[in-house]
Amino acid sequence: MSRPSNFPPPFNAADFVAPPTDPADERIEVGVLIVGAGPAGLACAIRLGQLLEGDPETAERLGEVPVALLEKGKQPGSHLLSGAVVNPRALRRLFGEGFRMEELPSYGEVPGEAVYVLTKRAALRIPPPPPMRNHGNWIFSLSQLGRYLAEKAEEGGTMILPETAAQKLLVDHGRVVGVRTGDKGRGREGQELPNFEPGSDLVAKVTVLAEGTQGHLTGVALDRFGLRGDEPQVWELGVKEVWKVAKPLKTIVHTMGWPLRAGARYREFGGSFIYPLGDDMVTIGLVVGLDYRDSELSVHDLLQELKTHPKIRKILEGGERVEWGAKTIPSGGFHSLPSRLHAPGLLLCGDGAGMVNIPRLKGVHYAIESGRLAAEAAFRALQRGETPASALSSYDEAVRESFIWKDLREVRDMRQVFQRGVVVGGAFASAMTVSKGRIEVGKKRAEPDADAPLLTTNRAASYPAPDGKLTFDKLSSVFASGNKTRDDQPNHIRIERKVPADVARMWAAMCPAHVYEVGAESDDGTVTVEVAPSNCVQCGAITAKGGRLTPPEGGSGPEYTST
Amino acid sequence: MPTLVFLEHHGDALQKGSLGVLAKAASLGGADAVIAGEGAKSLAAQAGRYGAAKVWACEDSEVAQPLPQPRVDVIAQVVSDGGYDTVLFANSVLAADVAAGLAARLDAGLNWDLADIELQGGELIGKRPALQDSVYVDVGWTSTPRLALFRAGSFDATETGGGEPEVVDVSPAYAAHSTTLKLVAQDSAESGGVNIEDADVIVAGGRGLGAPESFTLAEELAQALGGAVGATRAVVDAGWYPYSAQIGQTGKTVSPKLYVALGISGAIQHKVGMQSSGTIVAINKDANAPIFDFSDLGVVGDVHEIVPKLVELIRLRG
Repeated sequence: MSRPSNFPPPFNAADFVAPPTDPADERIEVGVLIVGAGPAGLACAIRLGQLLEGDPETAERLGEVPVALLEKGKQPGSHLLSGAVVNPRALRRLFGEGFRMEELPSYGEVPGEAVYVLTKRAALRIPPPPPMRNHGNWIFSLSQLGRYLAEKAEEGGTMILPETAAQKLLVDHGRVVGVRTGDKGRGREGQELPNFEPGSDLVAKVTVLAEGTQGHLTGVALDRFGLRGDEPQVWELGVKEVWKVAKPLKTIVHTMGWPLRAGARYREFGGSFIYPLGDDMVTIGLVVGLDYRDSELSVHDLLQELKTHPKIRKILEGGERVEWGAKTIPSGGFHSLPSRLHAPGLLLCGDGAGMVNIPRLKGVHYAIESGRLAAEAAFRALQRGETPASALSSYDEAVRESFIWKDLREVRDMRQVFQRGVVVGGAFASAMTVSKGRIEVGKKRAEPDADAPLLTTNRAASYPAPDGKLTFDKLSSVFASGNKTRDDQPNHIRIERKVPADVARMWAAMCPAHVYEVGAESDDGTVTVEVAPSNCVQCGAITAKGGRLTPPEGGSGPEYTST
Repeated sequence: MPTLVFLEHHGDALQKGSLGVLAKAASLGGADAVIAGEGAKSLAAQAGRYGAAKVWACEDSEVAQPLPQPRVDVIAQVVSDGGYDTVLFANSVLAADVAAGLAARLDAGLNWDLADIELQGGELIGKRPALQDSVYVDVGWTSTPRLALFRAGSFDATETGGGEPEVVDVSPAYAAHSTTLKLVAQDSAESGGVNIEDADVIVAGGRGLGAPESFTLAEELAQALGGAVGATRAVVDAGWYPYSAQIGQTGKTVSPKLYVALGISGAIQHKVGMQSSGTIVAINKDANAPIFDFSDLGVVGDVHEIVPKLVELIRLRG
């Protein structure tokens, strides 16, 4: 019974903090630098555009590039993946008066909903538990929404730099002054290839980290400035597919139960979502808490198994899978939020800061709202006569007064109670939601996902053999994510390569993209883990389960289009 | 529909890919070609055999180096002098730059990464692979000149039986910005033997070979068949064979006449790099390997037993 956390990766956060090293005249200077073209970063950019439009004097003072936004994917949206049923409230605030939701590339309002508890062959329809009611919410592909918001941000004057990884946090005299971008064109051993291009120092007055789940520099900053919350962050892993289907799906569907096991000792917390994307597409995904214990648990294969359920097979019948992807979701909630959302020169937003409401399965609107609030604080910090420190701390105050804080506080103990098992946890979840958080269930400390001691129970025996029509293996799925990462680049995944066999098996099963393989056994009983980093879709599960993801060369990874 | 094809040459050989595009263009109603660089005129006859009725040749010192911008000047001049409304390119590092530069110069539409082109009711329609090559999208142009860049291996370079082409000298006025770039050094990655992108026969090895030493099996068979050796990503990752031999989504795309897959399972990442090969022969121990779904001849068996016998047989016949 190994614990993955006993085999820490060769990773030191301090290696990713540095002062600027480029000569002063070669640094790229911008006003506000945003890292990550997701809903938080793009909302921040759009709001800054609105504010600077009304204040040409400040815009002028910020120079040629008042707002820059870095994106590690091929283009904005390439690395965005979500359900997504979105609460429209933050979008309405962002775009203000006269805005109509119909302007956005959505799949319309939620037409109705159904919740099922599944067993292997049956499906019991239950009334939606209070946290899962979605009346008035809208269905989106987050990848498509991201592309649209990026156009809006550019129209507002933001310079978007895609295919650019934020590699190091630039800190000078205790203050964040920007980021250093990743090198390009290095070979497998780190050597410079003919097309080598070194990274650059991007220097900014305010840096906004909106990196999303498992943000690389967000993690570095939390350590550097001592911002970790009361409780460790924990994550879930979601794997989803987009299908072209023969007949329209009339409602959004959530399922609980099978193929996850209810026994408390397995800690298999999660469920599935199936949403219509118009009349001829649906998206189906399975989300499982990464505090699970079984070394053979594979969310990808459980999703394949889920699709063989008669109820679900019927939805997909005659259809064709067109896309696949995976991503982690921070699920620690309120108690795992950073102790502060700012540091000198720095603001933290969205999923990177853990702003996700797990019982409601919502995070996009918190990301957008936090990005908007971060823009207002950053704008204030740029005004003449303002002390930047107090301007940035006003962001923390604004978040505390917003619906983000209120919502997350209401459901604060939700994720933690699910470590007691799904049945008990589910009852508490409903009680907490109905009472708007007034029922205290007794706080239970969450333990990091990588601390969960491993079990081996022949879990993989039930996974279906891929048939290439309804069920798929991992490699063809990586292909369907659009991933065509250059193979001969340095390995961006930090793990301990020599580990007990159960840890190696856990990584191999866990990873939806077939990055890890169990290699040769040594005399001391450990095995070597083989790594194929170019398969990686940067879901972040490895960071939760005992390794550390760092950004690969910019432009690597999946190229999602409708996830 | 007067069509011009950009022919790229290295030394005294026209690139096979661009000859394939020329042959295709000739079959659609005739085509002319443009060649720029040292020895351009001497290659005209070769271009004629692949269907060029007329060859525009430029041997100016400005195009002696394989740099894109001066070639944009040459082609822009030819398009204007010859009244062409369609210019086709076969993808290469140089051709992609030239095509992009020409699109900007002529304010023309460039369809990128096409796999085929055809005439539909007198209209030129390009076929562009989309959604990870699972479908072809029909693409057209809203204005002329129409530019298109074809992906490697789209067409076979088969001689059309054309005769001596008319050769026309071309020497444009070079824009000032076209000649500011100088080539400082040129180097090429070392590759053993035949370049796999040009080979008619490829013997490729996968992890089913079992060990790096077993690659000698692939090498011996390739030698016996007069072909080149390819490899899958898994074996390149494992350090068994150099990256320059990698075939697949993130390696090279090949379309030899004969493709022999030894111990290759046939993951889709590999398939997309070789699926347009003429005849695909697979030898694999695992009868359920996906490669058997798209091979013309499949042998379930151990490569270590079969290949040495195969090599012996071929040598006896040879």
